[in-house]
Formats: sequence, structure tokens, C-alpha cells
Amino acid sequence: MLPNKAQAARRLFLQRLGVFSAATALPALLSSTVDAQSSTKGVSSAQRWGLLIDTSKCASGCDACVRGCHEEHGINSTGNEHTDAQWIRKIDLQNNLSGQKSSLPMMCQHCESAPCVDVCPTGASFKRADGIVLVNKHTCIGCRYCVMACPYKARSFIHEPISDQKSWAPRGQGTVESCTLCVHRIDAEKDQQPACAVACTDEAHSAILFGDLNDPDSDIVKAMANQPASQVRSDLQLNTGVRYVKL
Amino acid sequence: MHPISPIRLLQCLLLLLGLTLGWMSVAGERGPVIPKGKGDRCVADTDFMRRNHMDLIVHQRDETVIRGIRDEPFSLVECVDCHAQRDANNEPIRVDAEGQFCASCHTFVAAKIDCFGCHAAVPDGEDQERADGGHWLPNKQLAAFRPHKAAPLKSSVRSTVSSDHDELSSDASE
Repeated sequence: MLPNKAQAARRLFLQRLGVFSAATALPALLSSTVDAQSSTKGVSSAQRWGLLIDTSKCASGCDACVRGCHEEHGINSTGNEHTDAQWIRKIDLQNNLSGQKSSLPMMCQHCESAPCVDVCPTGASFKRADGIVLVNKHTCIGCRYCVMACPYKARSFIHEPISDQKSWAPRGQGTVESCTLCVHRIDAEKDQQPACAVACTDEAHSAILFGDLNDPDSDIVKAMANQPASQVRSDLQLNTGVRYVKL
Repeated sequence: MHPISPIRLLQCLLLLLGLTLGWMSVAGERGPVIPKGKGDRCVADTDFMRRNHMDLIVHQRDETVIRGIRDEPFSLVECVDCHAQRDANNEPIRVDAEGQFCASCHTFVAAKIDCFGCHAAVPDGEDQERADGGHWLPNKQLAAFRPHKAAPLKSSVRSTVSSDHDELSSDASE
């Protein structure tokens, strides 16, 4: 049996220990609640959106995805073909040895380690938590470093004034733009597909599959599990969000 | 103490007259005529919106572009939806056109806006009735958006909106 004084001191120590541990544990508990709430509001890194493009289904000469994209975002020719915006373009490939041909759409590959984000001096070129690489045109100064840095030539600079923009796709002179993976659709509703994927399906090709690369049950991940899917310029180790089958 | 000379008195009177005339000319200045928006009210008090709309829009734009939050009330699309007027052929008029909602005030105060170099200045689709004024935010919720705690706005802005809409409520400076 300890003397009263020692007992009192021990009681005080234990009380303080209790208060201290409660004080340290409580914020951790609270923050976990906050995390759960923020996932329902705003984008979260729980998802990583991507595309899987089956080049064997992509028809040479078909540009439905390009037209679908341009219509969705109000991209019209200014009459200067060389400087027109190009968010997505069709590329025809030929193997010089075998003569085998393939066709594919090329757009922003939504890299995990995006060179355009690296070089942007203002932070306007950025990657959202869900992996979509975007240009914040509010802070873009039009320097075009990102256009130079992109190995996929996916970005366009807008040289001329633009009118008749869509309310969901603000576009303007002096800024750089590229494929947004139809971010307005993804944010607006669940299970929305980008305009290019919809256009491809409407054309009965269904070469473009959109989905969450982080979800093992998603169609895109299942499709990637069944067949080899490659990245364009995989040597750059950018971990692209857009993958190609039978490239 | 010497008596005030008549010349000094005349000078004082002239100064007083000048000040009065100057004040009257300022007070008599009519502000811009702002077209009425749709519905009964805006997303917040007119008084509050006049002073803080720019901060609300900047806040919302970052939330939308970076965090993907698009269902909040202060979106520029919603502003345009309610405030764009229609011409005789029911075609929407740009909000930044002369005399229209944005341009009327911004021309008056000589503040250049570049929102509509990129953003659509007319609503998409058909004209839709808006009776509820969209999301209405009570003053308590707006407390976070009050960067300028200035005195109640005493503006010469004349509005064609309904009288209760136009009233400059005193609680806006709380």
C-alpha cells in the first residue's frame, strides 16, 4: 500500500494520461469522419478515371469520336486549320515489316506523372484527385510550356477569340486546352460516359471503354485483366490513364 | 477678437454653396438601370450580392475546377441562367452586352470583366421559368463569404427589380 501522497500523485498522473490520450485520439476519429464526408462531396483519389481503347475495333477513316468530342465542347473550325483546337485526333499506323495496319484515337493520356503539370509555371496545368489532368484556364497564362512538354501532342493553344461556347465547356483565347475526359459529365452524374465513348458506341464500334481504374469490379479493369493493354510511350513511365489494346 | 470681414464671409458662403451644389450633383446622379432577373430573388440578399458576388464566383470557380463540385449555388452558369434577358424574338441576349445585367454596373464603375471571353454569356437551351430563385442562402450561411464587412451599401444603383428585392437590408452588414 502506497502512502496517500504517492497514491494521489499516481491518480493525477493517470487522469492526465487519460485526458492526453483522449485529446490525441479525438482528432483522428473526427478526421476519419470528415474524410468519409468529403468523398461524397468533390472528387476523391478513391477513383482514377481512364479509358481502354481497343484498336482492333477502331475503324480507319471513322472519326465519330472526334466529331462527338467537338460537338460536346463546342469546338468549331476558325478557318485556320493549322491552329484549330484538337482535343482528340485519329491516327493510322502501319507496321512497316508486316504491313499490318491499325487505327486509334489519340488524346490527353491523363498521366499520373504528367509532364505538362511538371512544367507549368503557374500551376494551371494540374491533376485532379481522381486522375484527370486539366488546365485551370483562370490561371493559365498561355505560355505553352505544357504543349511542348506533352509527348502525345495532346494540347492546343487557342489563338483566336471564341464565341458560342457551351456553358459546361468554357474556352477562350490565350489559353491552352485538351481532353478533359468530359469532366462535366463525370461530375454531374454517376455512370456517365465521355462524349467520344458514346459516339463510338453509337457508331457500333464500342472501341472506347471508360471506367474507374481503381475499381477491380469495373468493366475497364476486367477488360484489362483479360488482355494485354499497353501505354503509348510506356518508356516514359508516365502511368497513363488511357490504355490501348492490340496496339 | 476681430469682426469677420465681409470678404471672408463671402468666401465662406461661396465655399458652402459650392459644396452643396457638388453634393447635390452627386446625389442626383442616377445609377445604371439593371434588368430584373428571373424569379423572386437571387441566391442571397441583393445587398450582399452587390458587394460580394465577385468573391463568391472566385470561390466557386476553384471549387468547381479543382474539386469538381458543381452543385453549389454560386456558379456563373446559374447567374447567366437567371440574369440573361430575351429579345423580341425570345433569343437570349448576352449578359455582357451593353445595358445588360453584368455590363450595366461594370460599365458604370469602369470595372472590366473577362469572364465571358471564355464562359457562355447566354443560357443553354430553352428559357426556363425560375420561381424560387434557385438555391436561397440565408445570411447565417453566408457569414463565411463576408470578406468586406463594410457599412450598409448606400448606392445610387437603381434597379428595376421588385421593391422587396431592391431593398437594402440593414442586416447585411452584420
